[in-house]
Amino acid sequence: MNTIELKNVSVRLGEVDALREASVALDGRTIAVIGDNGSGKSTLARVVGGLVPARAGEVRVLGLDPVRQAAELRRRVAFVFSNPDAQIIMPTVAEDVAFSLRDRGMSRRERSERVAAALDRFGLTELAARSSHDLSGGQKQLLALCGALVREPELVIADEPTAFLDARNARRITAHLFDGGPHRLLLVTHDLSLARRCECAVLVAGGRVVLAGDPGLVIAAHEKSLDDHPLPPRG
Amino acid sequence: MITLYRPGDSLWHRLPTGRKAALLAALVLGISLVPVSWAWWGALIPAAVCLGCYAVPGIGVTRLLAQAWAARWIILVTLAGQLLFLGPQPAVVNTARVVAIIAVATLLALTTQVTELLDAIERGLAPLARLGVDPRRAGLLLTVTLTTLPVLARAAGHVREAQRARGARPRLRLFVVPFLVVALKHADELGEALTARGVR
Ligand SMILES: Nc1ncnc2c1ncn2[C@@H]1O[C@H](COP(=O)(O)OP(=O)(O)OP(=O)(O)O)[C@@H](O)[C@H]1O
Ligand SMILES: [Mg+2]
Repeated sequence: MNTIELKNVSVRLGEVDALREASVALDGRTIAVIGDNGSGKSTLARVVGGLVPARAGEVRVLGLDPVRQAAELRRRVAFVFSNPDAQIIMPTVAEDVAFSLRDRGMSRRERSERVAAALDRFGLTELAARSSHDLSGGQKQLLALCGALVREPELVIADEPTAFLDARNARRITAHLFDGGPHRLLLVTHDLSLARRCECAVLVAGGRVVLAGDPGLVIAAHEKSLDDHPLPPRG
Repeated sequence: MITLYRPGDSLWHRLPTGRKAALLAALVLGISLVPVSWAWWGALIPAAVCLGCYAVPGIGVTRLLAQAWAARWIILVTLAGQLLFLGPQPAVVNTARVVAIIAVATLLALTTQVTELLDAIERGLAPLARLGVDPRRAGLLLTVTLTTLPVLARAAGHVREAQRARGARPRLRLFVVPFLVVALKHADELGEALTARGVR
């Protein structure tokens, strides 16, 4: 089963064609999405995560239609953004993780056991009773990822999850993303060394998928375009 | 931030949320119904109810004093306004009543985790589902409101700081637009994050 499959997908945001007939099909466990600022990476991630609908074309994620099978998608796909502030909903750390399991129909006991285990894995046990909005940026991002992974998703979509983090926290986050469970990963990143760690990569430019496949080749193509056009063309 | 909840093991903490909310609501109603004609009793009864509620092991009257201290400006303004227009006795009676009502109502937030409040609201509103009220949404609305306030308070601080850093004198007009932009952006992101976390 393909992790993601896009056929001629177009997305319009306001006045901008953020994706123009993008097509790609990949079945890797870890997929990197790279490209310049404004190229359409986040839009690709959001259309895959069912957060924006495609205006035209066909999207399949784990074989699901993100719009028509939204409920099923939500159960199986988790999303992590760069800015953890908006992702944290409950006032304390433990409650925020527990919030992710509200719709799972678990007993209270089972819920709190799962939460405790997840907090432990993320090294957040000591912060369990702390106010979640008073955490540092790095701790917030760990909490956001903990809240996403506690649902045991099959696919995690992460849009520059380490953008605001120091090197140590960035490594902790990437370790959880790559090795924190059996889930697949769609990772939007500007960090080419992370992209190299993925099984495959997608290069986005001007709202189109210009190349997909082996990360070595895709990254080389991206670097070549950087060398060829170090400055944007003048109008 | 204003996380009101204090972990603990008092009588109030152990009371099931639904019953606790009903009991506290009854007390609040009782306080507000003490007739003005009872003169000083109108101040003494609310004060006594309030003290009684807080004077249980695990909470304590110091907590009550701390709450009163936090609300000191509201208390002062209420008192001053009424002193001016109504005279000493009604002013004291009315202020005591208002403070007691706030303090008793706050007990719910002080001794109940938001998760439990959410559960209780969902259960309490469940019968209204037939009338088109969605209990999950109503509960969530309350939670999100509670948690958004501190985020926005912090954002307001950032906007003011950024403007001071650029040498702008504090002016309301200069504040409102960037603050609205930040607030709307937060609302947007929060909406997406809620969807992404499985809330429909
Ligand atoms: N909400 C929006 N309304 C209108 N246009 C938007 C919106 N979000 C993004 N765009 C536009 O869509 C295009 C693609 O944006 P997108 O966020 O997908 O880029 P990106 O590759 O993620 O960039 P970055 O690396 O800076 O995060 C850009 O031209 C952007 O200006
Ligand atoms: Mg982006």
